[in-house]
Amino acid sequence: MSLAALACSLALVIVAGVALGAVRVAPGDVLASVWRAMTGRADSLYDALIVDVRLPRVLLAAIVGASLAGAGAIYQALFRNPLADPYILGVSSGAGLGAMLALVATGGATALRYGMVPVAAFAGAVLTMALVTRLASWRGRLDTASLLLAGVAISYTLAALTSFLMVFAREQMATVVFWMMGGLGSASWPYLAMVGPMFVVGAALAVISARELNLMLLGDERAGHLGLDVDRFKLFVLAVASLLTAAAVAVAGLIGFIGLMVPHAIRLVIGPDHRALLPASFLGGGIALVAADLVARTVIAPVEVPVGIVTALLGGPFFVWLLVRGEGPR
Amino acid sequence: MSPIEKAALEYAWACVGYGDACVVEDVRLAVRAGEIVGLVGPNGAGKSTLLRAVTGDARLLAGDIRVRGDSIGALTPRERALRVGVVPQQVSAAFSIPAREFVEMARHPHLPRFGTYGPRDDEAVERALVMTDTAHLADRPVDALSGGDLQRLALAQALAIGPEVLLLDEATAHLDLNHRLQVLDLVRSLAKDGMAVLAVFHDLDMAARYADRLAVVHGGGAGDADVPERVLTAEMLREVFGVRAVVGIDPITGAVAVTPVLRDGAVRATELNARVLVVGGAGSAAPLLRRLVLAGLRVDAAALNTGDADALVAEALGVPFARIPPFAPMDAEAAVQVAKTAEAADVIVVTPVPFGHGNVDNLLIAVRAGKPLVLMGSVEGRDFTGGAAESYWIEALERGAMLVNEVEAAEEAVLAVVRRRGVEEGDHEGPDGSP
Repeated sequence: MSLAALACSLALVIVAGVALGAVRVAPGDVLASVWRAMTGRADSLYDALIVDVRLPRVLLAAIVGASLAGAGAIYQALFRNPLADPYILGVSSGAGLGAMLALVATGGATALRYGMVPVAAFAGAVLTMALVTRLASWRGRLDTASLLLAGVAISYTLAALTSFLMVFAREQMATVVFWMMGGLGSASWPYLAMVGPMFVVGAALAVISARELNLMLLGDERAGHLGLDVDRFKLFVLAVASLLTAAAVAVAGLIGFIGLMVPHAIRLVIGPDHRALLPASFLGGGIALVAADLVARTVIAPVEVPVGIVTALLGGPFFVWLLVRGEGPR
Repeated sequence: MSPIEKAALEYAWACVGYGDACVVEDVRLAVRAGEIVGLVGPNGAGKSTLLRAVTGDARLLAGDIRVRGDSIGALTPRERALRVGVVPQQVSAAFSIPAREFVEMARHPHLPRFGTYGPRDDEAVERALVMTDTAHLADRPVDALSGGDLQRLALAQALAIGPEVLLLDEATAHLDLNHRLQVLDLVRSLAKDGMAVLAVFHDLDMAARYADRLAVVHGGGAGDADVPERVLTAEMLREVFGVRAVVGIDPITGAVAVTPVLRDGAVRATELNARVLVVGGAGSAAPLLRRLVLAGLRVDAAALNTGDADALVAEALGVPFARIPPFAPMDAEAAVQVAKTAEAADVIVVTPVPFGHGNVDNLLIAVRAGKPLVLMGSVEGRDFTGGAAESYWIEALERGAMLVNEVEAAEEAVLAVVRRRGVEEGDHEGPDGSP
């Protein structure tokens, strides 16, 4: 029932996201425009605004938010640490560096970018993951403490490299900086077509791993006692989380706090069973980022704030509140 | 090698450890269906490592470990989990899920990739909860439970799988006495139904009581598994644990019972090379014998009947004594032996033992030996010789024997005599003998 409530909320916030903005549209008109577009009879400027600008942007926000929250939920289960998220492991930085390289290499060739950026981001994420796990298992078993340490070290190195690369990307500086701060401003249907499949595959693989993720809560050894091939499962599920992270980073840059905050908050409400927690995190992440993007677009309209700044501004205090509040409702 | 054919779990020249370092080498051990084999030994000897090698938490560096004939290296984690249940030393649960779901997680290896828990799983979980007496906890969140409850839930997890081999790594460590017995009784009955159990025990009495066979893990190796009576001996305890202990049979359970008397490490190294003779019997001397050995003195006991409480303690402590058969009176041979020991002693102590015709010669020798003498308690009510013991007692007091009441005072008196003898200055006051 929590899932149904979350799904309804997501639908509502998506309609609100499309309806609200510099130009307000009544919710009924949103649905009408979408209907006209689907039946090939879209003609007005409103229809274009709704169907080609707002709708892809809102849907992209939902996908990016869901990806980040799903990846965060996976990391938090794997490391039994509610503070783990795609950034701690360096995966975001790796995806960011990959995306950055693609941006610089392809120059202004936008069409190329659509294909290159997500592939490069995923490659960056997976290579980073491989490097981090290799480093962490240098002295034998892949244990959580070394993974986190290696992740943090690699993350800082890659972030520095990314900043260094910006020196060479002078012409695209504005795009790149905006992308780095986390933005959904360049959303379009091709973008959606690009990351949509990545998200669907990642989310499906994550949801079918829910039972194993539950076992991981018991600790590596105990999970092994109960029949889980722990090392292999870790690599598999880290690859899934990398895919989700790459999908988000490729189109929206570095957006913080969603991956950390959403699964954490949802766990407080519905408990740690991943069979419910993972789908709920996907939905919750979508809701959170659509809402944050709505705020980013409207708070000082027509100027648009990068959504990463909004999530950080809302997420920071929220997180402090969680800490101060201590125990959850359960 | 014939039992090895049937072994549910078998170590064949196994070397187990961490990294490249062997902790325990060349282990040969077979656990058959229907028996409990216990591993005992000092901390860090590798008992847990032996168990952990089965689940891959420690490394098998050489040799082989086989589960019903299949090498563990050839089994997938899932196949292994279906056959081998594990209860670890400690279980952590820092998350809030109901105990029933916690146990249900163990059904994971039974499920296909896209399967969900079904009625057969529910049934197995319910049975495991009932068996481990945790059914009343089923709806409580695990992070609100005590360590003992969690431990029993971990056992429930292991049983919910339905394994043929059960590995218990100090599984009762966090349990109170009632639950410890309950869990071990349960394990006993599981073994009766055909489970093979390999368990690490720290409590030797529990090991003796519940294990069919015991193996000592010690000094980088593991001894042959044998019945507890042949494994838990005073010699083994002294060699392996450095503890001098009385090994007897618990009169209630009939199992071997170990009463540690002292640690070798606690014996004071002393340059006082003094000898003390203690006249005792019926347990009157045991506390003093222990104290004097701990103080680093060379202690002898006078004649004692085999099986007497003081004789058991003297054996455990390595205190020599003239041995006479149970309930038999002192014979001439024993008297001569006691007299020789008295001759060599620097001080003699008579503990509050009752005197009868069978042992009054001990007192006579002590009194007439002409050595410093410490008498404990009063002779009143202890003389069953018709006056002989009392007359020796009075004679001893006339010769200047010290009279003390408490064990502490007796020890002090002995040490005072010994020090005075050592220093030859007499700067220590003799004990005043007041209670």
